[in-house]
Amino acid sequence: MVYLLLAAGLFMGWSLGSNDACTFGTAVTTRVVKYRTAVIIIAVCVVIGAFVGGSGNIGKLAELATSNKVIASSDVVNEAIATGDVALLQLKSALKAAIIFACAGLTVFGINFFKLPVSSNQAITGAIIGWGLFYSNYSDPEILSTNLSQIAVFVSTWLLNPLSAGIISFILISTLGKFLEKRLSTLGSYDAIIRTGYIIAIILGSLSIGINSSANVTALYFDHAFAETGVAANLLTNPVLTAGLGGIAIALGVLTYSKKVMMTVGGKIANISQMDGFLVIIAMALTVVLMGKVLGIPVSNTQATVGAVLGAGLTRGVNQVNFGVLKSIGLAWVCSPTIAGLLAYAVAFFTQGFFG
Amino acid sequence: MLTKNRKPDTVHILLLEQLRDVESCLLYFESFMRAACTPETVHETLKSLAANISEAEAKADISLRKMIDSLQGHAYLPSTREDIISVATMCDKIANACEGISNHIVFQHFSFPAQFSDDLLKIVSITHDQFEVLEKSITRLFANFGEMLRDHSILDEIRSFESMVDVIEVKLSEETYSLDIELAAQMQLAKHLDSLCDISDIIENIADKMQIMLITRKA
Repeated sequence: MVYLLLAAGLFMGWSLGSNDACTFGTAVTTRVVKYRTAVIIIAVCVVIGAFVGGSGNIGKLAELATSNKVIASSDVVNEAIATGDVALLQLKSALKAAIIFACAGLTVFGINFFKLPVSSNQAITGAIIGWGLFYSNYSDPEILSTNLSQIAVFVSTWLLNPLSAGIISFILISTLGKFLEKRLSTLGSYDAIIRTGYIIAIILGSLSIGINSSANVTALYFDHAFAETGVAANLLTNPVLTAGLGGIAIALGVLTYSKKVMMTVGGKIANISQMDGFLVIIAMALTVVLMGKVLGIPVSNTQATVGAVLGAGLTRGVNQVNFGVLKSIGLAWVCSPTIAGLLAYAVAFFTQGFFG
Repeated sequence: MLTKNRKPDTVHILLLEQLRDVESCLLYFESFMRAACTPETVHETLKSLAANISEAEAKADISLRKMIDSLQGHAYLPSTREDIISVATMCDKIANACEGISNHIVFQHFSFPAQFSDDLLKIVSITHDQFEVLEKSITRLFANFGEMLRDHSILDEIRSFESMVDVIEVKLSEETYSLDIELAAQMQLAKHLDSLCDISDIIENIADKMQIMLITRKA
């Protein structure tokens, strides 16, 4: 029965998938790849990426969740083992994870409803902090400093990530785009290069989503202390399966509810050519991998994509960028962690009798 | 290598075939106009010249359909297919326009004023030259796409022909309404003049379409 609580995480994954597919919006809006073909390739590669490399990012999100009292620390697990309350701890851990994912998932779903790309990463971070603001003692300077430094790293990516993607995209289009253009011969060869480029970019981008984002979806159900204690204090104990489940949920979101946001990112932010569109995806994949390596945390694919599309638009001049749509997207990014955080805080307040 | 292969594909070959048919239609039209501008030409001659144009137009139609059919089995992207079809359909309109003008002249037993002959033949000749440049640019679009992306000044050349036609058209329109004939006859002449100059406009529109094709594909 307690495993039913996984549904909230899977819902989060579904929302994330429906949103993160916007990364490949340019492939569909420039009509190089059909929507159906694109979502099938993305779904398959996301699942492969999640099973192969998704487990590596679970620990990073867990640190933030542990300091905000969402995930039980090893001390709490050992205490539960000593008092024989492991079953109750397992239920509470799964419930907390479900609440965080439900709050973040609802936020993402709500913002997606208005056809705006939103970072699931931000929503989860916001919900975790919202929960922590109620349960973690932020008035204690030591706790405040630990939590703030972790939060700062996450928040810094919300600006650095799209900015880096924009710069990489601008450089790629100004150099590689021109380089390819000079080597083109026939119209047929142009089409072949674009088609092949997009397919490769979609595969690489989807694998990076599987590796980067699957942890966001189910990491809070993973028992980090299991290797040490040997007792399951949360729902999932196998890291590969944990990430894999996240990947499957993301794939379902891609397959069933990704069209609206895909069209917004691909077609409305800036007028970009087929060649730009393919390089935008490469720029996104490069940014996500680089940021992940430099900062050591999973970053938002959506933010990287929006930044990259903006960079592509800027290669043609400032007037080619639709700043109206960008303003709405920016607003969605501010609202996303705030709404998720407020929701989580409210749930924490009403459930303090059980969790407190 | 994808970037080295310059061999013309089936679509390109069939499109060139269609362009050749459209050009032969234009050549017949040139002969027709020469005859129509000669007062001694008998009606039967005009009729048979118009029939030649219709025949060439029908041939161009068949070529267009063959080219569109060939696109189905080709690896072009959907947007490229649409653009090729659009260019080919616009080229077909040139043949249609030639056929339309010649038929109307024949049906109406219309004859141009003698003082208009030189300018009318000049329009037809400029239009033919303009079409030849269009043919060249379409060939370049298919065979040297990269080069065309970097330099498409050839399309401006097509537009300059249209400007030349425009100048003559304005001059002739002005003269039309100062002729000592009935208003209905003036309007009839103006209509034929307008249709004749439309061919150059169609060719210019094709050049515009090609420029859009290039701009949307430029990095």
